[in-house]
Amino acid sequence: MELKIRKSGDNYIIDVNGEMDLYNSYKLKELVMKMLEKKVEHFIINLENVDYIDSSGIGALIYICSTIKKMNFRLIITNIHGSVKKVIELTKLMGYFPITNSIEEAILQMED
Amino acid sequence: MSENTYLNDIHEIRVDENNPLFDKTGLLYKEFPSDYRQIRYFTLLIVQSAPLEIKEINLLEQQISEVIKNAVKHGNHSDPARKVRVWYSFDSTHAHLIVQDEGEGFRDLEVWNAFNRKRLEILAEQDFEKLADYVSFRTQKSDDNDGGNALFAALEYWNGGFFFNNKRNAVAMLKKFPQKKHAIA
Repeated sequence: MELKIRKSGDNYIIDVNGEMDLYNSYKLKELVMKMLEKKVEHFIINLENVDYIDSSGIGALIYICSTIKKMNFRLIITNIHGSVKKVIELTKLMGYFPITNSIEEAILQMED
Repeated sequence: MSENTYLNDIHEIRVDENNPLFDKTGLLYKEFPSDYRQIRYFTLLIVQSAPLEIKEINLLEQQISEVIKNAVKHGNHSDPARKVRVWYSFDSTHAHLIVQDEGEGFRDLEVWNAFNRKRLEILAEQDFEKLADYVSFRTQKSDDNDGGNALFAALEYWNGGFFFNNKRNAVAMLKKFPQKKHAIA
């Protein structure tokens, strides 16, 4: 799994590339925690290039989401598709995660 | 999703050693050492016998990987001397697996069922504030790499049944795949 950060206005977009599985999901968690230490407040996690997620990956997203919510910062997860979407649906978390269909939509929501 | 859908949908993990899903007749068999680093590799060795007609093979692989991970990590405590045994069969209509470890068994099964029932009630109420406390099932033995959500998805995915044996160290499961409907001319 490869993680890339880019900036759009006040928003930090994390592009996740690869599989979010039991061996590497912690990397995303660690990255977000480091960014929080550096006072980043607006996160967009882009899952466009993620075709596989397991319970550890979902667990990492839950941890990130609950930490950011507790700090009253903003998070949007975007471009969920295929089996990643199915796994989130199976765990009934589609309503729990803040989700948009595209990065553009995520940026617009951040501006609200 | 409506409130009733969640409440009508409440599934429980059940213990039923006499369930026909524990019948191993005609199933293929593999056994593995409990090597955490190779869980996905072991899963691929099993899934490679699934026919290409199965759609969402990624999802099938992921769900099998979760059950094997539970057996390796929570059942056998990643002790390579302990084996995970898997019996399986696939065709275009179904996936049937039995996964057995050499551990003490799933002691927290009733606690998990109570937790899941509460989670589904909260989902029915659409109370996402309260849901934050019910998105992940954790015990004193859970670590940072445990998502705590695998069994929620398993109960939904394995639509033909998901049963433990009496010792609770083996689980049998069935997925029925939707079939194409042929129009009558």
